[in-house]
This record gives sequence, C-alpha cells and structure tokens, in this order.
Amino acid sequence: MAKNKIPIIEGLFTWPSDKPQLIASKCKKCGTVTFPKAAFCANPDCEKKRDNVEIVNLSNTGTVWTYTTQIYAPPAPFKKEPFEPYGIAMVDTSEGLRVLGILTTTDNVKLGGKVELTAGKLYEDDENEYVTWMWKPVS
Amino acid sequence: MQKFRDVAIVGVGLHPWGVFGEKSMPEMAVEAITEALADANMEWREVESMVSGGYLWVTQREGMFGILSGTAISAAMGGIGIPITSCANACATGGAIFREAYLAVASGLYDTAIAVAADKSAGGFFRPQSEDPQFDLDYIRYVMTGETNPAYWAMECKRRMADVGTTEDDLAEVKVVTSKIAPFNPKTRYKKAFTKEDVLNSPMVCDPLHLLEICATSDGAGAIIVCSMDKAKKYTQKPILIDAAVIGSPTFGDHTIPLTYLSTFPRPGVGILTESRNSIAAAYKMANRRPEDVDLIELPDNSSWHYFAYLDCILQAHDGEAEKLLRSGAVDPMTGKLPVCPSGGLGSCGEAVVAQGLFQIYELAKQLRGEAGERQVKNDPKVAIAQTYGYAGNNAACIVSKAW
Repeated sequence: MAKNKIPIIEGLFTWPSDKPQLIASKCKKCGTVTFPKAAFCANPDCEKKRDNVEIVNLSNTGTVWTYTTQIYAPPAPFKKEPFEPYGIAMVDTSEGLRVLGILTTTDNVKLGGKVELTAGKLYEDDENEYVTWMWKPVS
Repeated sequence: MQKFRDVAIVGVGLHPWGVFGEKSMPEMAVEAITEALADANMEWREVESMVSGGYLWVTQREGMFGILSGTAISAAMGGIGIPITSCANACATGGAIFREAYLAVASGLYDTAIAVAADKSAGGFFRPQSEDPQFDLDYIRYVMTGETNPAYWAMECKRRMADVGTTEDDLAEVKVVTSKIAPFNPKTRYKKAFTKEDVLNSPMVCDPLHLLEICATSDGAGAIIVCSMDKAKKYTQKPILIDAAVIGSPTFGDHTIPLTYLSTFPRPGVGILTESRNSIAAAYKMANRRPEDVDLIELPDNSSWHYFAYLDCILQAHDGEAEKLLRSGAVDPMTGKLPVCPSGGLGSCGEAVVAQGLFQIYELAKQLRGEAGERQVKNDPKVAIAQTYGYAGNNAACIVSKAW
C-alpha cells in the first residue's frame, strides 16, 4: 500500500493536492505578498492592521531568478534520505513574490526558465513519506 | 546631523583565529582585551563603558552565556561595575558594537569604551537554533528548502555571472589574490597561498562556488578600545580618528532573499543588498568623504561572490566594476594602489562570526599605524574602510583615518 505523503511542516502549501500552491498573505491595500503568511503587511507605508491582510494561494508556476546545486549534505535538522545533491532556486511568481524552493531536478534548469510547483519527498519512515514543496522545470 | 566630539581608536587586540576547543569564549575575550589594553597602555579599571558581541549558536555552545556575553566576559576580567551592553547583529556584530562604543564616547557620556567579542563558530554552526515550525522562519527555511549559506551565496553568484559577466577564472582569482598575503599575518588561521589550479581543482560545494572560494568558520576574539580624541594622546602617539561608525538594515522591496528568510517582494529600483548599500551611504555621509578618498579596504569575502559584490558596494560602483579592478591588479593587497583585504580576508582566517568586524578594524589600525610588518601595504594609507554583512539583513561599516 502506498504510504501517506505528509508535509514536513503543515500549513505552508495546499495539501493534499495534484497542483499544490504556496499559502501566502496579501495586503488588500497595496498588494504586498509575504510567504510564509504574516500577520501584518510588510510595506512600511501600510497601516499595521490585521484586517488588511488576507490569505492567498499563489499561482503554481514561476520563473527561475537564480539557482544552484547543493552538493554536500547539510547538517541536521535538514534531512534528505538517501542523500543526493539537489537544486535550490529563487523563483518569481506572477504575484510578484520571489521565493525559495528545492528543484525536482537541475536538468534543463536555466535562469528565466519556467517551473511549476509540486510536492516531493525528502525522507520517509515505515508509515509516511515526508514532503516539501518543490519547483519542477517545465519546457 | 549634530556633530559629536571626535573619538579615536587607541588600542586593538586579537586572540588568533583558529580552532580552540579547550578555551571558553570569555577566556578568549580576556586574551584579546589584555592585548588591547597593553596596546593602549591602559589599565582595565580605566575602561568606563563596554559593549560585547552576542554569540548566535547558543543551543550548541556555552548556552545563555553566549548571548549574555558582556557580563560573562566582565566576570572573567573581574567586574569593575561599568555599564555593559550585549548586542547581537549576526556577522555585523563586530561593527555594531564598535559603533556602540564610539557612540558612548562621542556622546560625551564616557571618555573611554571597549568593544569586545569572542566567537567559536569553527565546525560550521550555521543552522537553526530552534525546532519551532510555527514562528522560527530560519527553521522553516532550512528544513523545507535545504538552503545552506554557500547555497545562498552560489545563487547570488550565478545571477551576478549572468548579469555582469563574472567568470570562473575571476572567482578563483579572488582566492589567489587574498591568500597570497595570508602567510604574513600571525593572526590568521590559514597561512597558505593558493594557485588558481588549487582553487579550481578543489571540490565544488555549490555550483559555481568551489571549496576554496568560500570561507570556513573559525574561533576568534577581538577587542577595540576607543577614547575621546582630546585624551587619546595619554594612550597612544598614533590615534586613529573614527570618521564614521554605522550599521544598516534592509529596505522593503530588496531584490534578494536574505539568509534566514523564505521570500522577498522585490520593488522596482530597490536592488540587492540594501542593508549594505544603506550602511555604506551612511558611512560616507557621516565621514563627509567619498569612495575616491579611501586608501585601504577590508571587506567581507565570505565567498568570491561577496568579494565582488562588496567591492562594488563599498566603491559605490556599477555592478561589474569589481571584476575589472581585480583583473587590473589595482586591488592587490601587496602591490595595488587600493589594497583590499591586506589581512588575508575571511578566506584566510575563517569567519568567527560576531568577532569578525573587530578583526577587520584591528587590521585597519595596524595598517594605518604602519605596524603590519611583512604584510604592510605600500601605498601609505591615510583613510580606510571596513564592512561586514550578516544573516537576516545585518550590516555594519566604518571609516577611520590617521590623526597624527
């Protein structure tokens, strides 16, 4: 039987979903988007009123601003088992946010290239697979 | 801006950079303070005010005493009842506590003050300090995206290569140029001069950065004693004027995602590294000087990317000027007309995070006084600048000059 796929930390992206989306906050007054969601708008010129901010699910596609390949295994508490080098990118979404995420592959990744959001496994135990959001290159 | 009274650096001291597992951070600080006091011909009881750097990796070493470092160091020195502040501004802490010491004296409240910081980061302690999945953004970032410090630097580097044409050769050349002076600095940890082949053959850590293009983390401690200029002659024949001591924070809409954060909301015209550009602009304004006035630079070469990014930042140049300066030899620490990182830089010492800014200021003082021995720069510097940048959008900068 297939294992359950569980986000390592809940509440950061829509799940379960075939097309996961990052869960962010957006200011109703100025449009500033923040991820993870924040209680107040980060624009210094906006009033700090909780009611000004709404939760939004971001578009699940974006453009690579830059990326790298992490070749050595980072120390705990990051966990990727079995360890293999992985890509990390800063991705621009259509809402104007620039956001981090692991790449499903570094093949065919280029600056300005298109990516879409998915969920990918970092490690598992007997019952569950533990997943995070990942950016998948699309042609 | 109201003009405060003039303040001078009168004493500098460093515990060497390296790995010192058998010593506590307060012990290392005591050794740095002792050297600074001797340098200033000053007694401990003459110090009227103190600011101490707060260590970040408190869950791994020395616990709460790491961040409440001021009173821990004072207890090791023997308490003399003076005001003490402990301050944590990440890698910019050294510059931040130097500024606090400056302000304590410039304001007229005290005639003398000491900035002191000890740090044991050897072994790579850059990691989240809690497992709070709700509010510790650093923890969320780290476990969900696996972004290490070198990964962040590499992403910036790759973007810069695309934007301004930095080459792999340029990146390797940074290490060649900064390491060649390292054998002559008794305070550094690594004393080897590397060739371009050494650098390019070292393992790739995060594409495009090789192992020898990123700095290690080290243990180290520093102390800088400042005094009102009118009393400085009591302590030194070579007082160094503090033209500016500033810190900077990010501007909303910065184009990069600073380490510890997961996102940014870039605004047109804001650019990257705003905390650093803000701090440099404030330093020149406070000093009433321009980049052309600077004879000597210590910058935070945590990686080869930093070297270029910060050289442009400090010179307020267009992105890409730094690569041209390096290629031309102008910023060679031994032969250049504008020596950069005559200490050997972070690449040669490894970063002792909160003490690093004091390492840089020590170097500026030694070079301006002409006391740097075999690594003494050749251009008779009169005005020098140092800048450090750190986690979560922290930055500090200072401009100092000969006052004798």
